[in-house]
This record gives sequence, C-alpha cells and structure tokens, in this order.
Amino acid sequence: MKIFNLIFAFVFISFSAFSQSNGAFETAIKSQIQAMQQIDSPESAQEVSNSFLRISEAESGEWLPLYYAALTKIETAFRFDVDKDAYFDEAIDLVQKAKEVSPNNSELTALHGYALMGKVSVDPVSRGQNLSPQVMQLYGTAINQDRANPRAVVLMAQMELGMAEFFGQGPEKACGMARMADELFRKESQKVDENYLLPTWGANTAKALIENCQ
Amino acid sequence: MKLRLILFCYLFLLQSLAFGQTVLSGRVLDEKGIPLPGVNVLLKGSYDGTTSGVEGEFEFSTEKSGMQVLVFRLMGFKTLEIPVAVEGETLQIPDQELRESITDISGVTISAGAMEASDEKKSVVLRPLDIVTTPSAVGDIVGALQTLPGTSSVGNDGRLFVRGGDASEVGIYIDGLRVANAYGTTAGNVPTRTRFNPNLFKGTFFSTGGYSAEYGQALSSALALNTKDLSIRDQGDLSLMSVGGGYSHTLANEEQSITLTGNYFDLSPYQGLVKQDFDFERAPFGWDLEVAAQKKLGKDGLLKVLGRTESGGMKIRQPEPGQEGAGALIDLRNQYSYAQSNWSKISPNGWTWFLGASISANSDEIAFDSIQTTRDNKLAHLKASTIRDFSDRVSMKLGVEHFINTYAEGLPLEGLERNFQDGQTYLYTEWDWYLSKKLVVRGGLRGGLSSLSEEKWLDPRVSFAYQVSKNGQVSLAAGKFSQAPLENYRALNNDLKNTQADHLILNYFWNKDGITFRAEAFHKEYAELIRFEGVPMAPVNLRNEGSGFARGFDLFFRDRQTLKNTDYWVTYSFVDSKRSFEQFTTQVQPGFAPKHNLSVVVKHFVTGLKSQLGASLAVNDGYAYTNPNLPGEMNSKTPGFQNLSLSWSYLPRPNLIIHGAITNVLGRENIFGYDFSATPNAQGVYESRAIGQPAPRFLFLGLFLTLSKDKNANQLNNL
Repeated sequence: MKIFNLIFAFVFISFSAFSQSNGAFETAIKSQIQAMQQIDSPESAQEVSNSFLRISEAESGEWLPLYYAALTKIETAFRFDVDKDAYFDEAIDLVQKAKEVSPNNSELTALHGYALMGKVSVDPVSRGQNLSPQVMQLYGTAINQDRANPRAVVLMAQMELGMAEFFGQGPEKACGMARMADELFRKESQKVDENYLLPTWGANTAKALIENCQ
Repeated sequence: MKLRLILFCYLFLLQSLAFGQTVLSGRVLDEKGIPLPGVNVLLKGSYDGTTSGVEGEFEFSTEKSGMQVLVFRLMGFKTLEIPVAVEGETLQIPDQELRESITDISGVTISAGAMEASDEKKSVVLRPLDIVTTPSAVGDIVGALQTLPGTSSVGNDGRLFVRGGDASEVGIYIDGLRVANAYGTTAGNVPTRTRFNPNLFKGTFFSTGGYSAEYGQALSSALALNTKDLSIRDQGDLSLMSVGGGYSHTLANEEQSITLTGNYFDLSPYQGLVKQDFDFERAPFGWDLEVAAQKKLGKDGLLKVLGRTESGGMKIRQPEPGQEGAGALIDLRNQYSYAQSNWSKISPNGWTWFLGASISANSDEIAFDSIQTTRDNKLAHLKASTIRDFSDRVSMKLGVEHFINTYAEGLPLEGLERNFQDGQTYLYTEWDWYLSKKLVVRGGLRGGLSSLSEEKWLDPRVSFAYQVSKNGQVSLAAGKFSQAPLENYRALNNDLKNTQADHLILNYFWNKDGITFRAEAFHKEYAELIRFEGVPMAPVNLRNEGSGFARGFDLFFRDRQTLKNTDYWVTYSFVDSKRSFEQFTTQVQPGFAPKHNLSVVVKHFVTGLKSQLGASLAVNDGYAYTNPNLPGEMNSKTPGFQNLSLSWSYLPRPNLIIHGAITNVLGRENIFGYDFSATPNAQGVYESRAIGQPAPRFLFLGLFLTLSKDKNANQLNNL
C-alpha cells in the first residue's frame, strides 16, 4: 500500500512536472508574441523567429510556433529591406510544415495566402496573373474552413480592394468584407485573455480599410 | 529493495532538473572564417538556445546536463549538429563552421546558350506573359522568341531560325517529349505559326546552342515548353477574334483538372475587308480540338495528358516569273494530331522520376494544278529518365529514349510512293558538379543508334559557369550535336548519315533588380550536311558532303526597372555563316541567315487607360539569294527587312481583355528573295518575281472573356 502510494505520488509529481513543461510552452510562446511587438530590425526579427523555431523543434506536435515563425518572416519581408522572395519562400515552407501537423487549419491557409500575396507584391506585373487567383483561392478556402476567422476575411478584403482599384471599380464589395472582418475581430476580442495564444493580428488593417471606405 | 531502486532512479533523473545551469558560448563562422550572425543555436529537445550576434558569437544557459546535441541552423546553410557534454558552470564551444548549401536559387546556373521564360525564377529573360503581349508575335510563341538574341526573322517562313541554322535545326519539346511538325503546314511563301497555344504552358526554355544531353536531333537549338500544372478553378474562356474564335472550359478540384478547347479560324472575312497581295482562292482556314488534363498521383506524383487534333487548308495561286496568267493553283489540306502523356514524381529522398510517351501524326495533301501529292509523317517518342541528387553539390541525370519515325510521300494518281521507317534509341547521362556555390561543371554524353542508317554515334557535351561578381557570371559551353537529314531526303536515300555540328559558346550574364544584360559569342562548325544536284523539288545524288560554319555574337539588354510602368528589351545579333549544302557547290551565305539583326520591344502600362501599349521593331540587313543573270551563287542580297508593330491591350474588367495589334505599321514592302524563271527569255535574261508579304500589314483584333463561377467572388453573399 505504501509502495502504491509512493508510486502514485511519483506519478503525480511527474504529471505536474509534465504540465509544468506545457506551461513552459505557453510561457515561451507568450513571451515571444510580446517580443514580436518589439521588432525594429531584420536582426531582431530573426531572433524572434529563431525563438519560435526552437520551440517548434522541441514541440513537434504544435503548429503555433511554426505559424508565428512564418508570420514573423512575412512581416519582416514587408517591413524591411531584405531578400523578400527568400523570406516569403521560407514562410511558405514553414506553413507547409505546420499544415502537416494541423491540416485544414483556417489560420494556416490564410497565412499561406498572405505569404503568396507577398510574392505577388515583389513583381505584380508578371506574377499577378498567375498567382493572384491562387491567393484568392487560399483566402476563400480559409474562410470556408472557419467562418469566424477575421484574418481570412480582412486579407480577402485587402485583395478585393486592390483589384477594384486596379480595374477602377467601386470598393463596395471590399468595404463590406472589411466591415464583416471588423465584426469578427470584435467577437474574437471577447475571447482574448492573458492566456490566449492563438493569432489575433489584423484588426488594425480592418479599421484602416473601413476608414478608407468612408 | 525495488522501491529504493525506483527512488534512486527518480532522484537521479530529477537531479538534472534541480542542479544548476550551464552557460554555453562560442562562435559560428562560414567556410571562409567570416562570422555568421542570425544563426539559430539550440540544444535539441529543449527551448534553450539563442541567435548568434554580429560577430557570430552566441551565449545561452541551460539546465540540461550530460550528453546533448547542439544544433546550428541558418537559411542557406547546411544544418550542423554536434554532440556536447554539458557540465560545469560554463562551457566554451570551439568555433563552428557552417557550409553553404547550394540550391537552384543560390547556386550559379549555366547560362551559355540558355534563355528561360518563367514566373518562378529570377534570372529569366522572358516571362510567359511576354509571349502574348509582344506586338510582332500576335500570340505566337515562336513570334515572341524571334525578339531574342541568336534568332533571325525570316518573314516569308515564320519558323524559328537560330544562328545560321535552318528551321529544321530547332528541336521542339513539350514536357521533354518531342513534337514533330510543330508548325502548321503552309505553301507559297505564306508564313506559318506554331500549332500550340501559349496558354498551355507555364514556362519555356529556349537554347541557342550548347544545350543539355537530354536533347538531341537538333543541330542548332532546343525549345522546351513546359505545360501547366493543376488548374485551380472551374472556368470558361471565350475568345472572339478578327480571324475566328474559340471556347475553352476548365473543370478543376484539388486532385485533378481538365481543360477542353475548341477553336475555329477562317481568314476569308478578313481578306474580304483587307486587300491581299497574294492571290488566295481560298483563304487559310482551320479548326482544332484540344484536351489537357492533370491529376495528382500520391503525394509527389503528377500525371499529365495532352491531346490535340486539327485540320486546315488554303488555296493560293502562285504566278510564274516571266509567264502570263495567274499561275499554278496550290491546294493544300492538312490533318494533324498530337498526343502525349507523362508522369513525374519527386521523391523526398533525392530521386526524381519521369516517364512519358508522345505521338505526332501529320498528313498533307497538296495539289499543284493537276499534280496531286501526299505526305505522311508519324513520330512516336518513348522516354524514361531520372534525376538523382547525391548531395547539394552533385547530381546526375540519366535517361533512355526510343523514337519510331515513319515517313511516306507520293503521287497517288500515278500510284508512286517512297517511304522509310526508322527506329532510334538513345541513352544519355549528364552530371552537375558544384565545386563551390560560384563554380559549376556539367558533363554530358548522348549516345544514339538508328536502325535505318545503321549508324551509331556518341555526342559529348560540357559546360562551365563561374560567378565573377555579385550579379554577373561567365559560362562556357561546348559540345557535339547530331541530327538526321530532312525526311524527304531520307526517303530518297535511306543510307544518309547524320548531319553534325560542333558548338563553342562563351556567355556573360548580368542580372539585378529587373535589369538584365547578356552577351554571347559563338562558333559553330557544320559537317556532313546534305548536298545534291538539281533543284530542291527534285534532288539527285543526295550525299553527306556539305560543310560550313556560323560564328558571331549577340547582345541583349532588358530593363523593367528604370522607367515607371515600362519594360523594354533590345537585341542585336551578328551572324557570319557560310555553308555548302543542298544544290550549292561552294560555301555560301544561306538565304535564311541575315548578318545583322536588331530587335526592340517596348511595353508601357497606362494605369489611367487600364491599357498596355506595346511596340516592337525588327530590322535586318537583307537576305542572300542567287541571281542567275549574274555569275556565282548567292551573289545578291535583298533590301533590308523592317517591321514595326504596335499593340494595345485594354483591361476594362478583371475578366475581360481586348487586344488589338497591327504589324508592319509603316507598310514597308519587305522582300525575302526572288523567284526566277527556269529558262532565260528571248533576250537571254532570267525573269524574276519578288517574294514579298501576303499584305503590307496584318491587323488583329480580339476579345478574351473569362467566365468563372468564382467561389471567392460570391463569398460576400455567403457570409
């Protein structure tokens, strides 16, 4: 009986140690999400994405660290003077890896589209015709995978606006989508607390698009 | 006792958690000893690690102890893993070197002779879109390639002529499989076009010499067209043109897609409106049906099928020089089919597999007044190949091919026919060695045998590329190339051997931010060319006796950067070519090889007009021809060729394009040579007739509408 109790105790301790290590995962992700806000150079971005990748190497069953590493790459390419194609390609690689861990994930599909949109932006004249439909399709799939994903909708709105501007059409459709995204962001923000690890970015883009509509 | 053991083990394991931290530090360098910042340094299986700093230095602490694996990762470098014994308060790791990994993007590529049209890669000279938007091309793939270095435009022919070679010296491939009779059959100096629509292809690889051992049966050039992968959505494409119309429908899902296309063209209404200088009794007309399907097989496999069948014809009168009347009536009918299927698979373990088969079948019926002739040509191509990447520095290509070629030509009314059947088998291998990221060597061998001529041959090829500066590189290529003589010659003399060419090419390529400069010098030596007595229509005593050379250089400059919304390229090619061939008894400049060739293409996008405006100019110094009234062969030269073409593409809506183009806007009366009467007239003079253009200008107007039930477009209403 004594032995049994002891073993039980060990197991319990081990479990708490295990859950502690899970807590470590959350803490690590959280601290890097905060570090993302402090990025001010390609070097600091590299540090953040490296940290996410270290977490992902230790937690091979998790898609979130790969997601954030890819997002960091994409944002770096948009913000700083780097070899944009290489960054977008690496982001797409990371998203593909994450998709193996978590298939049919709306956030990953939307991020894939975002990276591909980045590739279009590098050379819109020659890549637009071929890649833009693929981007639209990814956003469409992302919306179908999760109708409450505001990022899929806001990215689609951005794309629609770009197309409408290019072809001199009214922005009504894009604006409608931006408003919908804004509503979804509002709903999402109600779920967000200090332990929330899932992506929450994009609300400002929706706001900016709506402002543009008025 | 047992309990004690468990307790002991547990505490022992726990120790590693409880006892102090170790600080690891060190430095990461590249192969040359230059510090590498940004390297992800980590202990495998933990969150512990850091990113190296500007001096390649790193330092981090861990609570782990004992034998661990320290990992170094950086994009563009090979990941390094080293075992470390973590103990004590500090652990100094010796300097570590990361080796660059060589990828398609980072490594130098062989650019001698090669030009690519692709969306994916950076160092391309042409984009797929350029093919449809080059004004002089009017949607023809080969028309767009004629603006590239090493080519010359031969306006009464329309085919591709590369560096002093005739049109048959260009081998055309779709997905690595040979296409026979890739150009429409034509007669009477009416220029032809490629049969295949540019929309089928995602990329084009065009080589003007020194190309891979994968390609044979071409003395001058290889043109490899790669078909599109899976379509992404259901859509319909409607085209209405001044010369005809067509409809294409695509059905697609994640696993497979299929596109069915039908086109009809007839130049009669156009020729009714625009006066022609040629005497067409029946304007060129034709229809085609095409199917293209793609299917994913497994995770990395892709199966493609392409089939096409078409039929067309025309009737034209060709006046004889020095004779009264409208001349002989040429009545042409053509049937053509092409089908191919290929399967490819990229295995993650470094092997790439390819299996493919194609068949081309062409049938012509041509009547010259009352003389009827037929011509039937079939070519089957079977191919299996593999690519093995042994490492990022060494890769191997290995392939085996078999061709079956049948040809027959005859005079059905007289019951006369001559024909041949040939089986050719090839084995090729090619090796790429990256000695460093900046230096690559490629060596290839192509061996073949023919059942008809009972000839065996081996063609060695070698090339190098060296990166001389950040954006510039030099390439050198040399090799031997063999090609069977024209089919109508082989039908007359089955024993004819291969014609041969040796290439030597030196290339400089510079590319940065949308600006491309390319310079190339070449020397090509021809041997075993076909010679005969008599005239090309009725050759006698065919033999492998001709020889010659082509040498020169070409320059290419493209700038998509400097001027806003403007893209232009300028090409100059100089070719000095002489050869003894066909009926010529001495080495002469061929009629299809003008010396100086200049081409300029400019495209400008006007956002306000939602339009792309294009202009292209092609100029050469004229074509050599033989004037029988003067002594010697190829003793005269036509006036220079000039063609200024303009185009306007208007995109009023995302799914609608209206495209208009005019070729030879200035209406220059280009002359490509002269026909002479067979016998001199009463004054002892051979009378002549200029070979000109069907009409001074060609006008094209087309409307292209894409209809798709785009799910995304309806998304707004679904939400």
